[in-house]
Amino acid sequence: MQIQKLTKQYDGKTVVDGVSFAIPKGKVISLIGPNGAGKSTVMGMISRLIAQDSGLVDFEGRDIGKWKSKELAKRLAILTQSNNIQMKLTVEELVTFGRFPYSGNRITAQDREIIDRAIRYMELEPFRDRFIDELSGGQRQRAMIAMVIAQDTEYVLLDEPTNNLDIYHATNLMKTVRKLCDELGKTVILVLHEINYAAFYSDYICAFKDGKIAKFGTVEEVMTKENLSKIYQVDFEILNIAGKPLSVYY
Amino acid sequence: MSTAVIRANRRKLVILAVLVLLCAAGYMLVDVRFSNPKLFSYAMRLRAPKLLVMLITAFAIGGASIVFQTIINNTIVTPCLLGMNSLYTLIHTAVVFFFGSGSLIAVSANLSFAVDVVLMGIVATVLYSWIFKKTKHNVLYVLLVGTVLTSFFGSIQSTLTRVMDPNEYDSLLNSLVASFSNVNSEIILFSLILLAGVIFALRKELALLDVLTLGKHQAINLGVDYDRCIRKLLLGVTLCIAVATAMVGPISFLGLIIANLSRQLLRTFRHSQLILGSALFGMVVLIGGQLIVEHVYSYAVPVSVFITVGGGVYFLYLLLTRKKV
Ligand SMILES: Nc1ncnc2c1ncn2[C@@H]1O[C@H](COP(=O)(O)OP(=O)(O)OP(=O)(O)O)[C@@H](O)[C@H]1O
Ligand SMILES: [Mg+2]
Repeated sequence: MQIQKLTKQYDGKTVVDGVSFAIPKGKVISLIGPNGAGKSTVMGMISRLIAQDSGLVDFEGRDIGKWKSKELAKRLAILTQSNNIQMKLTVEELVTFGRFPYSGNRITAQDREIIDRAIRYMELEPFRDRFIDELSGGQRQRAMIAMVIAQDTEYVLLDEPTNNLDIYHATNLMKTVRKLCDELGKTVILVLHEINYAAFYSDYICAFKDGKIAKFGTVEEVMTKENLSKIYQVDFEILNIAGKPLSVYY
Repeated sequence: MSTAVIRANRRKLVILAVLVLLCAAGYMLVDVRFSNPKLFSYAMRLRAPKLLVMLITAFAIGGASIVFQTIINNTIVTPCLLGMNSLYTLIHTAVVFFFGSGSLIAVSANLSFAVDVVLMGIVATVLYSWIFKKTKHNVLYVLLVGTVLTSFFGSIQSTLTRVMDPNEYDSLLNSLVASFSNVNSEIILFSLILLAGVIFALRKELALLDVLTLGKHQAINLGVDYDRCIRKLLLGVTLCIAVATAMVGPISFLGLIIANLSRQLLRTFRHSQLILGSALFGMVVLIGGQLIVEHVYSYAVPVSVFITVGGGVYFLYLLLTRKKV
């Protein structure tokens, strides 16, 4: 996937400003950056949810806007930052929607297996039959992620998937992300505020600031004291733990 | 468990259907003199078209309201609350006004209905999709704009009738605005064909309704061609409202009552069940209501008055008991 000079304005204010980068296939890429830096807007544009003002998103050799929505849904899935579903829907029914691009309303035995696997990955077995509006925030978030996993696409986009998750489930999620990439060969792009998760579990980091890319590179290239201090305006120290550059901020 | 819910809902729908049958049988047979075959067939000929009209109306309004609520992702609005039926009445009056009451278009019920439907389809779809875009689907704004439009269309319509030649208006009054005591049964066949055509043309979009409840972004993520789908469904809704309004006149709160009763009873996202439930509730309310009006109040109060009063109270109740609009 190639992104060229993406620009987006809201009410005359430029919120994404000439963003270009190539997404390496089969890797985990984390987007980091302060609130309002434009991460979600970029995620929206590279998944055809938001129309860009100018620039191009080239998905597998073709402009993403030219893809048939249904075809794209089998190759790219996105979890957006905020989701409010007003319907009476159980966890299992929600996850089942992940198979919609393939089977419509007629679920096959193979779909069932994929749905079960997604529910297992997110440790949702005890909540299978619960209504999603009667779950805790973290449980609901895990259900949403399970649906995206059930969509079983080459590209998986997750906007702040660790939102609302406790340390156990957040870590578990990051391990799942790694597994999706290493074992199933998927490309995972995620927005994270926990820089250390980004440093520990991803291959590349793309740091945003004020609608532009402040730094894009491998974890080692981006995770330096200077880079992070400049991006976040906070003092940083970098420690080397388990062979990974992890950060302490104060 | 979800299969248990589906099964339980099926049972509820069967009970509702039985209720509809009882109401229909009651409506057809109460106070009929079986001993006199002439009187009997007279009563049947009088009542059967009216019953059919009520069945069609309930289905059109019930279905349209559920679909509309899903399109706009809110269960407190219905097409009629946003003035769609006033728009239809206005279009119908305007057509008669501009072509004259003697013209072929005004005289033939089916022809004038056809002209109305085409105009309605175009005007309403353009107008309402524009409103949705402008207000960014913000329900409070949509409701506000809808309320303003309702009275706006209403005043233009009444101005038109006032400008008309009084004699012409008098002779037209009956055909101009239908009501329950004066149902427009000439267009039954046309309406049935139109509704069947709408359902057939929209069969793909109707299958997407369940996914649409997840919201715009999720729907796109799951491969729905969102804008196109919404536009087509909206057109279908306007045509259903046109059918209902042409046959029995405006009944603003019916859609709100039956759609929400169906949602409360079935508590599901499955639209096949929600739409069926809403339509069946509509039939019970209309036919049962008409039965009571004709035989208890002996026509003193039209059923639409009951629906408006009851619906208004129910609307307030929904507004006040919901945590968020
Ligand atoms: N629909 C919208 N209308 C107007 N402005 C918007 C809209 N969506 C986003 N913005 C603005 O665009 C800017 C970038 O928003 P975006 O959601 O992309 O930030 P973000 O990097 O995801 O932030 P966060 O970390 O808080 O999620 C913000 O200043 C925001 O106020
Ligand atoms: Mg964001």
